[in-house]
Amino acid sequence: MANLAQLLNQPGASIEATDDFDTINRLIWDKGWGDGLPIVPPTEARVAAMLEYCDRPWNEPIAKVPPRWGEATPLLLAANAVMAGCEPRYFPLLMLAIEAMCEEPLNLYGVQATTHLCAPLVIVNGPIVQELNINGGHNAFGPGFQANATIGRAIRLSLLNIGGAIPGLGDMSTFGSPAKYSYVVAENEVASPWAPLHVERGFTATTSAVTVIGAECPHNINDHESLTPEGILMTIAGSMGVAGCNDIYYKAQPLVIMGPEHAQTVAAGFTKAEAKRFLQQHATVLVRQFSQENVDRRIRVTFKDRLANPKPDDVVYVVREPEDLLIAVVGGAGKHSAFVPTFGATLPVTRALKTANGELARSVEDFRRR
Amino acid sequence: MQHTVRLVVPEAQMSQVAVETTKRAVASGGIRLGVLDNSKGNADHLLRFIVEGVKALLPVASVLTLRKESVSLPAPDALLDQLAGGADYVISAMAD
Repeated sequence: MANLAQLLNQPGASIEATDDFDTINRLIWDKGWGDGLPIVPPTEARVAAMLEYCDRPWNEPIAKVPPRWGEATPLLLAANAVMAGCEPRYFPLLMLAIEAMCEEPLNLYGVQATTHLCAPLVIVNGPIVQELNINGGHNAFGPGFQANATIGRAIRLSLLNIGGAIPGLGDMSTFGSPAKYSYVVAENEVASPWAPLHVERGFTATTSAVTVIGAECPHNINDHESLTPEGILMTIAGSMGVAGCNDIYYKAQPLVIMGPEHAQTVAAGFTKAEAKRFLQQHATVLVRQFSQENVDRRIRVTFKDRLANPKPDDVVYVVREPEDLLIAVVGGAGKHSAFVPTFGATLPVTRALKTANGELARSVEDFRRR
Repeated sequence: MQHTVRLVVPEAQMSQVAVETTKRAVASGGIRLGVLDNSKGNADHLLRFIVEGVKALLPVASVLTLRKESVSLPAPDALLDQLAGGADYVISAMAD
């Protein structure tokens, strides 16, 4: 396998710069390689340290990232991870997240290029959450945790620099989203009354895994009054049913995030499967809540079997089948949940952390070069 | 005097693979024009105008217009095969 010096001697693989933080940041910005925030200079030494946690050949692509279809080699990912401020031990999780989001069901080309404001949300489950101190509790989607912030930022830098999701060129989002800076969170498995998300999706509890979703930012759902499972679920369902939701028009798989307090209340009377069924049945939009133009051009077409000639009080379901809904428990104390709509034309992908030889990893130390 | 440092370029280079274009055997009666409507609003109207414009400039033997079911998902292989078999040139990727 080629060593790092050999790889960096390849044309276009490296550049020389004055060893000054401000000068390097200006250079990176002028090259169009940043996200608008200052970066950590991706020096040869820092990238070499990052690659210490990579057990695969550094110049062999692990995925092609749309819309540019750039080849995501460990070398390029390591440079972006350094720029984002990642610790080297975070690198296996970055590799896993990029691999997962490049799987066909996620439709990363659409997620990256659409006018919609979605971004890949990465939910982490399993022992790696504790090992890397990934926040799934208070302020889980907010600042204050290095792993959440920098792994998410490294993903975005990779999507920009490898995938070509340049605003206005490869990323045509009308608004963009704060989630396009960083969008990584852990499930709060300890506080959840149900099986973790990755177990529900076919992995063992001791497996470390990521679930990637082409998602909007979380939409908060406040319910301080309901004391029953049905009450909490009715409020969540009522907050999901809005006419402008992308998920209505696709067989989509959006996410309900339950705060631990809401989850405990719901779990007193419902299994997770039963909660999904309730939400699917009650998260609806009445036909009269859509504009007539939308009824004529989308509702009648999309739901031609059931709503070819809709009445004003006919209902449109936000989610078509109960099993299409994802539920994860995230966050700290407080009587809040959140709805995370998706791009619609995207499906979640869950992938386990494995070493190069295909074995499930017990620790990020399994990836360390010896 | 300040030192220099080597930085790793974080950007994927654009593919430099040379692609040989297919030699199209266009029949003397004109080109077979394909149209892939991405199903965005007004794409059908715009594409119709473009087809009329092409017809005004070139001999067109036939027009094969197909429509994707979802604007946000790739065209299925069967639809692409149909276009490949029935058209010499395809106009695609329209949006409102």
